[in-house]
Amino acid sequence: MLVVSDIKKSFDQKEVVRGVSFSVEKGESFGLLGPNGAGKSTTISMICGLLTYDSGEVTVDGISVKKKPLDVKKKIGVVPQEIALYPTMSAKENLLFWGKMYGLSSKLAKKRVDEVLEYVGLRDRANDKIETFSGGMKRRINIGASLMHEPELLIMDEPTVGIDPQSRNHILETVKRLNQNGMTVIYTSHYMEEVEFLCNRIGIVDQGKMIALGTKSDLVNRLAGGTVIKLSVASLKDEFTASLRKVTNVERVIPDIENNSVDIFVHHHQLAFSDIIACAMDNRVQVLSFEVQEPNLESLFLSLTGRTLRD
Amino acid sequence: MKSFIIAWKDFKIRVKDRKGFVTMIVMPLILTAILGAALSDVMGGDGGFSDTTVGLYQADQDPISEAFRREVLLELEFVKVKMVKNDTELEELLRDGKIDVGLSIPEGWSSDLNNGGLKEILIYSQADKQIKATVIQSIVESFSERVKTISLSTTAVINDLTKSTVVTTGSVNLKEVVDVIVADLNQAGQIQFGIEEESIGKKMVSSMQYYAAAMAVMFLLFNATMGAKSIIQERSTETLARLMMSPTSNGSILIGKFLGTLLFAFVQLIIFFCATSLFYDVNWGGNILQVLAIGIAYSVAVSGLSMILASLVSEEKTTDVISGVGIQIFAILGGSMLPIYVFPDALQTFANITPNKWALTSFLTIMSGTSWDKLFLPMSVLLLIGLLSLTIGTWRLKAR
Repeated sequence: MLVVSDIKKSFDQKEVVRGVSFSVEKGESFGLLGPNGAGKSTTISMICGLLTYDSGEVTVDGISVKKKPLDVKKKIGVVPQEIALYPTMSAKENLLFWGKMYGLSSKLAKKRVDEVLEYVGLRDRANDKIETFSGGMKRRINIGASLMHEPELLIMDEPTVGIDPQSRNHILETVKRLNQNGMTVIYTSHYMEEVEFLCNRIGIVDQGKMIALGTKSDLVNRLAGGTVIKLSVASLKDEFTASLRKVTNVERVIPDIENNSVDIFVHHHQLAFSDIIACAMDNRVQVLSFEVQEPNLESLFLSLTGRTLRD
Repeated sequence: MKSFIIAWKDFKIRVKDRKGFVTMIVMPLILTAILGAALSDVMGGDGGFSDTTVGLYQADQDPISEAFRREVLLELEFVKVKMVKNDTELEELLRDGKIDVGLSIPEGWSSDLNNGGLKEILIYSQADKQIKATVIQSIVESFSERVKTISLSTTAVINDLTKSTVVTTGSVNLKEVVDVIVADLNQAGQIQFGIEEESIGKKMVSSMQYYAAAMAVMFLLFNATMGAKSIIQERSTETLARLMMSPTSNGSILIGKFLGTLLFAFVQLIIFFCATSLFYDVNWGGNILQVLAIGIAYSVAVSGLSMILASLVSEEKTTDVISGVGIQIFAILGGSMLPIYVFPDALQTFANITPNKWALTSFLTIMSGTSWDKLFLPMSVLLLIGLLSLTIGTWRLKAR
């Protein structure tokens, strides 16, 4: 369905996307995970034809985005990160407008408005102005606008930013349902849980590069020392972190001096734990609290970059 | 097709905006009423210059003086002539407000015509009737110039004829030839005078008419900033990005934005025409097609300006400043605040850079009665401003 081959993009001689490649099969739900500023939105903008790539190629069903942008755009539905709706128009008027912009006839657009409003659960608010909606409702109409023309590929750029948990769950369920009904979905987020919930395959982007790509289990299995023990201490000393690196079963140690905490990647946390505590006592470091995290995408990202997704 | 969908969407958004509706429709109507009524004495009231009463004192029965009274003053629909016996009576009538302007034609007005001119006429006026006095003065000057031209032409031709061989040899009767030439020149002079009169217009505009046209063009100018603001808003709310991600070319999007502004501007103008005609009894002239043609050309101009403005400005606040200050400057310069004909010549020439000046003068000309060929230049200028701005603005916006 979608093939992205080594695309690059620079702004003012600063390269923000540095050779990203991945492909998405028909019916698949693909997640692009990465912190803010990683290059996800720029990558999405290039796929949608909003930005042109400096090099590389993007094809949708074999059609080049660069050569035939209008043909590709007909196949894609985009949910932008911002609420890209007209606030003084009603939900129905907004949906009708966006439907027509995708070439729907008036009759078909009206029919689709009812279906889409039903889908996003806002049929009773059809004639209300968007400016009277809550953040979550606006997000749902924002998604609805991109569904009007029943796209083959739905691209969602952080569609749950800044909304309440209830609306967030509604959106995630909606996306899940769309994918189950056969729609191909690309979902970008810096929320690991959302990507884990929705996506079959995941690409992790950081600083304009794809640093990991695969199914969730592939990625987590790649993590050597997958369990993370997070220690909070009274005062973090360099000697302590140096000693920790020598402890058996400890794969990697990432100190956070500012917060007096340390993330310790271990192979078998049951075995490693007592050694870590002993190490703290030997170094006269007072342990305030600890937390054991099972291997996940967050810990993979931490392991690969030394930073968290929300940094 | 998609351009029309965008244009219609923009139109609906603006119509639903109550604040915008008040600013663009109600406000100009209120201002027209206030300014039209407040300045009616200065400009001649609702009846305009048709109520202008000219007190005329002729010191003798000079033939040119008689011709001026009969063929000029008495022929003008907006002038009533009251004959007086002397200058003192003229001054008294003016003081009592029984006449608006006084004219005192001296004895032997045309006696110096052979030496190249007419004697000076005294024009009496009062401070609150200055505009009427200015108009009467321009009529007198126009007539004087015409008389001088015919006189000089006749003298020159007869001098040449006198010296020519056909006359000196007696093969042509000089008296007959002179009669024919004088008659022809007089006729030509009358034709020329007729043209001059038409350019001023046979009917003069009232203060209410003037300010209806002035407010219409001024408030239509706000569409330039509103249109630009609409594009900037689309950019900041990401709807522009969303439009660009839809299967719609950038050109269609920008043309749609232009058409949206054009549609609203034109509808605003139509509503204003109807409302002023209905509520204030404003006569927009005898030719509705001329009014519509200038209305469309001016709407194109302001819509084009909105595109170039959007390409130059990136902040909504900047368009607000332009709305507040820039439009006021254009409005003053273009004659929307004070009648343009009271400006110095240099300022009147400078005002040609403002599209509202072209539109206002065109509407006023239509109100006083004009022909299509007189409207060709202002229409061309307005369309040129609009299309040039659209082209440059679209090109710059695409590049951005």
